[in-house]
Amino acid sequence: MTASSQKIRIEFNDHVVRQFLVASVFWGLVGMLVGVIVATQLASWRANFDLPWLTFGRLRPLHTNAVIFAFVGNMMFAGIYYSTQRLVKARLASDFLSSLHFWGWQAIIVGAAITLPLGLCRGKEYAELIWPLNIAVAVVWVVFGWNFFWTLKRRNEPSLYVAVWFYIATIITVAVLYIVNHLSLPTSWTHSYPLFGGVQDALVQWWYGHNAVAFFLTTPILGIMYYFLPKAAGRPVYSYRLSIIHFWSLVFLYIWAGPHHLLNTSLPVWLQSLGMIFSLMLWAPSWGGMLNGLLTLRGAWDKVRTDPVLKFFAAGVTFYGMATFEGPLLAIRSVNALSHYSDWTIGHVHSGTLGWNGFMAAGMFYWMAPRLWNRALYSTALANMHFWLGLVGILLYVAAMWVSGITQGLMLGATKEAGTVLTYPNFIEAVTATMSLMHLRALGGVMYLAGFVLLAWNLWKTAAGAQTVNGSVEVPAATAAPSAMGVAGGFLNAPVLYSLSLIGCLILWGAGHGIVAGLGLWGVIAVVIGALTHQQFTGTRWSEWYERLLENSLPFSLLTAVAVLIGGVVQIIPTLLLNKADQVGEVRQIPYTPLELAGRDIYVREGCYNCHSQQIRPLVGDVLRYGDYSKIGESIYDHPYQWGSKRTGPDLARLGGKYPSVWHFHHMRNPRQISAGSTMPNYPWLFVDPTDVAALPTKLAVQRRLGVPYPELSAAQIQENVQAQAQTFAEELKNAGAEVPADREIVALIAYLQKLGKSETIPATKTAQH
Amino acid sequence: MNNPPPAEEPLRPHTYDGIQEYDHRLPNWWLVTLYGSIAFAALYWLFGFQLELLPEPGAALEEKMKANALAAARSSGEISNEILWSMSKDSKVLDAGRAVYQSTCASCHLPDLAGAIGPNLKDATWIHGAQPMDLVKVVTSGVLEKGMPTWGPVLGKTKINEVTAFILSHQPNP
Repeated sequence: MTASSQKIRIEFNDHVVRQFLVASVFWGLVGMLVGVIVATQLASWRANFDLPWLTFGRLRPLHTNAVIFAFVGNMMFAGIYYSTQRLVKARLASDFLSSLHFWGWQAIIVGAAITLPLGLCRGKEYAELIWPLNIAVAVVWVVFGWNFFWTLKRRNEPSLYVAVWFYIATIITVAVLYIVNHLSLPTSWTHSYPLFGGVQDALVQWWYGHNAVAFFLTTPILGIMYYFLPKAAGRPVYSYRLSIIHFWSLVFLYIWAGPHHLLNTSLPVWLQSLGMIFSLMLWAPSWGGMLNGLLTLRGAWDKVRTDPVLKFFAAGVTFYGMATFEGPLLAIRSVNALSHYSDWTIGHVHSGTLGWNGFMAAGMFYWMAPRLWNRALYSTALANMHFWLGLVGILLYVAAMWVSGITQGLMLGATKEAGTVLTYPNFIEAVTATMSLMHLRALGGVMYLAGFVLLAWNLWKTAAGAQTVNGSVEVPAATAAPSAMGVAGGFLNAPVLYSLSLIGCLILWGAGHGIVAGLGLWGVIAVVIGALTHQQFTGTRWSEWYERLLENSLPFSLLTAVAVLIGGVVQIIPTLLLNKADQVGEVRQIPYTPLELAGRDIYVREGCYNCHSQQIRPLVGDVLRYGDYSKIGESIYDHPYQWGSKRTGPDLARLGGKYPSVWHFHHMRNPRQISAGSTMPNYPWLFVDPTDVAALPTKLAVQRRLGVPYPELSAAQIQENVQAQAQTFAEELKNAGAEVPADREIVALIAYLQKLGKSETIPATKTAQH
Repeated sequence: MNNPPPAEEPLRPHTYDGIQEYDHRLPNWWLVTLYGSIAFAALYWLFGFQLELLPEPGAALEEKMKANALAAARSSGEISNEILWSMSKDSKVLDAGRAVYQSTCASCHLPDLAGAIGPNLKDATWIHGAQPMDLVKVVTSGVLEKGMPTWGPVLGKTKINEVTAFILSHQPNP
């Protein structure tokens, strides 16, 4: 007892927490301002200003990257570093790593803010940053993980609290997702082609995209909720066992749900079905988090009326519940047929980001700032005003998007004469019908931003001139060694073995045929009965084992990694095998010519995928409007895939040959000349800038390495090929009265657009029978 | 903390930076949602995917487009032999056709189509052509020299199509 009576005082590194807090508020202002700008552009094309770096296609990636990685990213780091130090009673392991983490992350953000408006873009949503920045993100993330796990190793509190579980899951999963989805082969310092193409790229992209929502916008914020909400409410957390069940089910199930972003596409149906059913199974685990948040407030609801911190938390958790109910709903195949590609998805995302992320951030900032600067919040009234401005802003935004999305879905899918004729044959009719809602949405965004400006002002007045203060804790000079179970002890025990056998049998049943599936099904039944019986007799020992696991961060982290990785492995590995060209059926994409490839890179650079899909679904409305539904082989050579996720404008999968080239010429210069009421920006610079032919030899070489069947061409041959094809287009345009030099970007872009949907049929004898 | 919380709400012994935890049992409705969605997922996978009870999307679309085209042709009044045969398998059309037959045709051709004043309509013998469109023509314009009236202006296109489909339903499929 003498050792434990001697105490030492540990001072926390709250300096880096303050840095991340300030950065989050600053980038939040920037990201939300860009959000308001892009919302305005959707209401009025004039807000694109005919300037390349201000067009919607380039600013929308800036908005999403800024609010996700800069605003929520910095907020998450502030929250994780503040709470983890206190929960494990240890100072962050390394001041150097903490600083490197902070400054590295800010440098990446600045890099993104410069490169994205310049059109340097990988063409995949929330994964647009160029490859040198990708590497920087991976490195800084490893620095973060290193700093975090090192801190855990030095902890003076043996047992890990639920918030820390969520942080661990976040760090491991984001690293895996980010690295796999950013694998690419560079063609220059600023350009690369993704390793995966077509359906495979689509699957990997949404495995990443969906789980960026899960493990960047959800799990770290749940961890933050588990720390700050009971702190602010002064109430115990509602249920420890609910924490356990909803944590493990959430991290295991979430990974599988990615394909719900690809429902009704040419993704194989088994993957679509997995995406749908795992989304439905996520409903309860998600609501487990909401319950533990809201029910912790029992006995503190009187404080919610007066304390802005609790107001933000209560509303934020409620929005989390709303969004995680809406998510499974939208993942149902038939609902998705209406909602996909429409504004409904945009509304859904924003009820999560504005409501859950934004409000949890605000609550956390209002709670932290007085403690970090040792001065009471400047104005509670301003904070309350922020709350109501923000709340009304979200409701306006989300309601406008619901109405707009459902209107778009219904109008674009509407048919008459027994489903043989489109009721609204012109796409622009749906654009015009929802125009007033675009204004309403922008207004909602302005209100939300105004609320956030109040937050910035309030925090500024709180912190300016105040004395910063760092928290500290007294710990015994020598702590008793925690019970070490080792990695083997983490895995070789009844609950884990039962869970893993159950998952194994489920996979056998689900993926196997005939006798294998039968064995799997019987295995499932046997394991469930075995586990339940065993648990009747030794249940208490299982919970004791879990308590010991909480004192062993390495086995805990490994178990989390296994839970997270299973879904990705089961979905992605079979798809890697499937994408081989001889296994995708009879219809096969014809590779782009060098000029068309240059045009495609312009399409990606301008972010056309932000508003146009290239994927026709097997639905009556889609097929009547855009032509035969897309086949899996029609995009296998697309690195990156460009199926898109939103139709602000029409689908382009079969655009090639639909209109004469001169149509595109006038349409790209001024869309309204062709299509009155269009909200598409003008692209005057494409008529001035020359096509980058010099880059093509390297680009083609990289495409060949990626498996696209290009013949080996010398730089001179490529040059010749480009010139010949460009000349044909220039002459065709000239004959139609539109003169432009053949070397301009518009010619390359038109060549690409006229190629869209061109495929060949390989006789069945040559395709493998699978 | 001299006031311990009520006995039915035991707190876990451990605290983390002052945060305590209850260990409430999980609400029943939440468990029902969890297990219900898992059961639905298993059944959906088994029936919808593994036993292939849900049609392949491409094939389902093609069938639907074909059915739509038929329905559109029917409602637009344009008909063909093929459409009339497909109508002869549609129970709604047959119900309507039967009603027209019993009120209009049965007096001469008998309720069971066996024929009396007019000829038998369920055997293999056709006097004025064996194609569905031939029947329509006979009903519409009549065969005045043999006593078959002109029904076109009386019944209208829709009812004529329906009653033709009804008669066809007594004939073997081509």
